[in-house]
Amino acid sequence: MAKLVLPAGLLVLLLLGGPMLLMLRYSFNVFDPLFLMKQAFTFENYARAVADPYYQKILTTTILVALACTALTTLLAYGPAYWLARMESRWKSKLTILTMFPLLVGGVVRSAGYLALLSTDGLVNAALRGAGIIAEPLQLLYTPGAVIFATVGIVLPYMILTLASVIESIPRQVEEAAANLGARPGRSFFRVLMPLSLPGVLAGATLVFILCMNAYATPLLLGGPQFQMMAPAVYEQFARASNWPFGAALAFLLLIVTVILTSLGSSVIARRYRAG
Amino acid sequence: MKSLELVNIRKDYGGAVAVAGMSMQIARGELVSLLGPSGCGKTTTLRMVAGFVAPSAGSVLIDGRDVTRLAPYERDTALVFQSYALFPHMTVAQNVGFGLEMRKVGRAEREAQSLEALRRVRLEHLADRYPRQLSGGQQQRVALARGLVLNPAVFLLDEPLSNLDAKLRGEVRSEIRALQQSLELTTLMVTHDQEEALTMSDRLVLMEGGRVRQAGTAQDLYERPADAFVAEFVGRSNVIEGRAEGGGFRTACGTLLPAAAAGAAGGSFYAIRPEKIVLAREDAGEGVGGALREILYLGAQTEYTVMLGQTPVTVIAATPGPDDALAGLRTGDPVRLSWPGASARLLGA
Repeated sequence: MAKLVLPAGLLVLLLLGGPMLLMLRYSFNVFDPLFLMKQAFTFENYARAVADPYYQKILTTTILVALACTALTTLLAYGPAYWLARMESRWKSKLTILTMFPLLVGGVVRSAGYLALLSTDGLVNAALRGAGIIAEPLQLLYTPGAVIFATVGIVLPYMILTLASVIESIPRQVEEAAANLGARPGRSFFRVLMPLSLPGVLAGATLVFILCMNAYATPLLLGGPQFQMMAPAVYEQFARASNWPFGAALAFLLLIVTVILTSLGSSVIARRYRAG
Repeated sequence: MKSLELVNIRKDYGGAVAVAGMSMQIARGELVSLLGPSGCGKTTTLRMVAGFVAPSAGSVLIDGRDVTRLAPYERDTALVFQSYALFPHMTVAQNVGFGLEMRKVGRAEREAQSLEALRRVRLEHLADRYPRQLSGGQQQRVALARGLVLNPAVFLLDEPLSNLDAKLRGEVRSEIRALQQSLELTTLMVTHDQEEALTMSDRLVLMEGGRVRQAGTAQDLYERPADAFVAEFVGRSNVIEGRAEGGGFRTACGTLLPAAAAGAAGGSFYAIRPEKIVLAREDAGEGVGGALREILYLGAQTEYTVMLGQTPVTVIAATPGPDDALAGLRTGDPVRLSWPGASARLLGA
């Protein structure tokens, strides 16, 4: 059996690890305007990525947006996820598919959808003006709020589906037992449901956080020229500046920060609730 | 005043009737079993008492107070779930203390009471374990302790023995009964197992199709079943179709069986318990003649199936010793069955 799995395993390893290793190697090279890059082994690219205030600001923005999106997504997703998980009617599978439906359309298309929704003559402004609430259109687009709003919309299905599958695995009787023993819904949530669904919250939040840290189309389309996040900045280095070593270094900086923050977050939250 | 009173409660799901107007009372310290086949409405009734199901009509009274519209957490009931439903992220002690925590009992008092409850189920040494580290029987006892620590007005047991293996079942059965009696807990138990119900309850309520078929003590239901359904569900019975004729009962295939009185003359069913029948060899001379079709050796007892014409009749008797007249019986042998007419009952459907 092991012999049969080996070729496929090697192929997968090559597909997954190959590009990463290549990029890692590039990130230690030196940029050369003529030859693209020169073979070297220097930490200069990393030093620049960390020290340059311009990129510091971009990384900070990225982290803050990702954190805000993760928190908002978790808050918004819990209710629908619980509802979906505990649903018994024949609508359950249909609604689950409906939740997945937005994932069939790529992030770029959906970001464009939010563009149409939030622009000065978009749906939101038209509705507000039509209702006579505002006279002049609001500047909704090209704000951090627009990016967060759209990103949350895009990652919500992942969170809802992850949470729903975990909540579904918590026996209903455990919640009934809490109620039977005198726990009001709020107490029951914080004392029983929340700690038991924590693995789902962590898994979902990690997934969403990673997606948000690497968001590309949404900040590009909805953030405007002044609003910068890491993924577009990395792309810029590769595509416009042709500085592959620095682009690779930025990409790995993003990766390292993401890994550190997700593992830190998981362990802190897990410790806090497991003690209960 | 009764501890628990159900007044004509009813539950409909769309067009389907789960419980069709049921009334019962449980006195303080009494254990009453709701017995019946699956789908008879017993679990729905229990859930209406706990507050998880809202009755379509009727009311639930606990200690004389109408609790029909109260949420589960506002009712003084403690339910031991069939699956135990322990909180997997809490230790045994925390599980048992949960209800007290919800009642805002202080930590020290809570721990003392939890430990006392655990002592009652002989688990105080496992207080710091997690449920997954316990055996099924131990989890069951934690679930019991978690309920009884609250000294609830009504204790509810949902199929308490169904997840235990046969050997443990007898043990836990006596343990629950002893606890219930020593703490004088007013208890409503749901079970589909008639043996469980017969051995543990003060009274039984046999349900079928959302209705009460018969309520009474174990002896009432066993010795004086109200109808053929009760006779077949509680204990084992030979229920034979036919009609009363003179001083006896004529089976559908023509055999005349002894009956005491023509009391239940309208009855079209004849019920006789397998252990009330005396089996003898054909030369015994008296009784109804038949052919032995099957012999099942059960150890202390032996079960015989005898054909009276086309009607199979089950007989259970002590396994004959080597010198016994019945020792050499084989399938196919002609035999005679006899019983006093008073042992049999004529019943409606």
